[in-house]
Amino acid sequence: MKPMTTLLVLALGGFIALSAQARDKRDYHETVYDSGCKTCHDQGLKSFPSDESCLQCHDMTKLADQTKREGHDAKQNPHDSMHYGQEAPCMECHGEHTKKHAICMDCHNFDYPKFN
Amino acid sequence: MQTRRSFLKFGVGAAAIGALAPLSVSANSSDVIWDEEHEVVIVGSGFAGLAAAVEAGKLGAKDIVVFEKLGVYGGNSTLNAGQACFADTDLQRKLGIKDSVDLMVQDQLASGRGYASEILLRHSAELGPYVYQLTKDCGCVYRDHIINTGGTSVTRSHQVVERSGAGFIRPMLKTARSYGVKTKTRHKFEGLITTEDGTVLGIKVRKNYQTDHEDSGTLINVRAEKGVLIATGGFAANVAFRQALDPTLGDEVGHTNARGATGDGLIAMLAEGAMPIHLSFIQSGPWASPDEGGFGYGAGFSLYNFPHSIAIDRNTGERFMNETADRKHRADLEIQRRDKDGKPHPALLIAPKHEAQKDPSMDNVLRYNVAWEFDSIEAIAKHFELPLKPFQKQVDDWNKYVKAGEDPQFGKRMNMGTGIYMTAPFIVQRLWPKVHYCQGGIQINTKAEVIAAKNGKPIPNLYAAGEVSGGVHGVSRLGGCSTPDCMAFGVTAARSMMKA
Repeated sequence: MKPMTTLLVLALGGFIALSAQARDKRDYHETVYDSGCKTCHDQGLKSFPSDESCLQCHDMTKLADQTKREGHDAKQNPHDSMHYGQEAPCMECHGEHTKKHAICMDCHNFDYPKFN
Repeated sequence: MQTRRSFLKFGVGAAAIGALAPLSVSANSSDVIWDEEHEVVIVGSGFAGLAAAVEAGKLGAKDIVVFEKLGVYGGNSTLNAGQACFADTDLQRKLGIKDSVDLMVQDQLASGRGYASEILLRHSAELGPYVYQLTKDCGCVYRDHIINTGGTSVTRSHQVVERSGAGFIRPMLKTARSYGVKTKTRHKFEGLITTEDGTVLGIKVRKNYQTDHEDSGTLINVRAEKGVLIATGGFAANVAFRQALDPTLGDEVGHTNARGATGDGLIAMLAEGAMPIHLSFIQSGPWASPDEGGFGYGAGFSLYNFPHSIAIDRNTGERFMNETADRKHRADLEIQRRDKDGKPHPALLIAPKHEAQKDPSMDNVLRYNVAWEFDSIEAIAKHFELPLKPFQKQVDDWNKYVKAGEDPQFGKRMNMGTGIYMTAPFIVQRLWPKVHYCQGGIQINTKAEVIAAKNGKPIPNLYAAGEVSGGVHGVSRLGGCSTPDCMAFGVTAARSMMKA
């Protein structure tokens, strides 16, 4: 295989892999994709983003407020839970390129509509 | 680069053996390139680790670090029912319960079936009042109700208002931080760094570790000036390990633990020559429900209801155990409930609603399909395909036992169920054990020092506390008796390190 072809294959392969990985991307992250992978991958492209990376744009207190639940379900706020308070890091439940799984669901049959 | 260089220093052999092999270096620490150094190094942020951090802080340690593998704090401890057995407390006296350290130790020795350590149990029970006060000083708030756990001669399991270990973990974490303790998540313990003669100098840690991605992050060497405390819990989540030790604990049986309970600390200490003890004694929780994951809500609900409820075999419609016997007794009997093909046929815990509703968790178990309400004996029999006649008779007989205050069928202690008759409507929960606690681990002494297998002597600078230590409880641990054990030995390890 000629060097040029090899490069092309590598480049194409990389492109295909990236689009496959990005399949679960959220619409509101479109601009982040436009700005490049490093926007989130602050620890290198082959590493997971740091827990702080998401907090560049998302504010924990605001998130906790947005997912606030009332009455019986008050303690089931995933961003401010009885077990972890506001300290559960984003990546523990969310993944931009992987299936989402809330750690609460390891033990509880909670109804989290976006996580079914 | 520093990590890579230090790694290479140990030679190709050490690197090839992999992360679980201990790193031993000649005489002193100058062979290792240290990335961090701390006065007190604690691995694990559960009850044992945080109790040690708080106590070390109280004793004036200036530089304490707690490493946690997961992204969240508390490990298994933050998921439990928030109970702790203490003997002879002000709350027990207020509620008219007469108890003593001796009685608590006796109860645990009986459940340990000859294998429990009286010395370690007594050490832990005697520290109970101190630990009770320490948790209150951290801001933990106890309920006015004391829980009756199985296998005890008096009621002694104190519970925090959250009814979860989170009610201990969060205030203790806050208190630890107030002493300047550095708490670091996503730092996975990978092994001990020792001198050739076995003295522990520090640990190898995978910084920025991502759960289930073993190659994530970078390896760093952490020097421990006063010692290393391994407080990494049990191995209930390591199916290969637990099934090798007890063949009945395969995938058919779930577990109640946090994802991190894979035995990392235990395996590393074994590699370092620590004394293994009672590894096959693995306990399943008889209060678990197969209708939810982990510990869930069902455990708390059944714990409240066992004293005045009946557990029914679906094949016979009759009781098959003393519902307040110790955990092993009940879990062994529950896992034997099978259909004609040998498949699990979980038993039913049947509670009268008039009493069950006094427990705040009833709402949760009904809401999340962990238990169901029925208006009559017939409705239960129909839904679960129970033989109605023997089932009806069993309920009638039970009500006679309640009236007489005696259970001729299984000898259950009836004073907790006085006047609580089995009348409609009923709340029904299914029971199937889940792996809950590893009594086995490495051996420690009353200073929380880890004992070496080759000579029975302490391994210098190495301490262990909590579930990772073994031999304390013997064959079976009583409910509510791990929390005080973890905290007492965490406190002890801190005291030992600050004295050393």
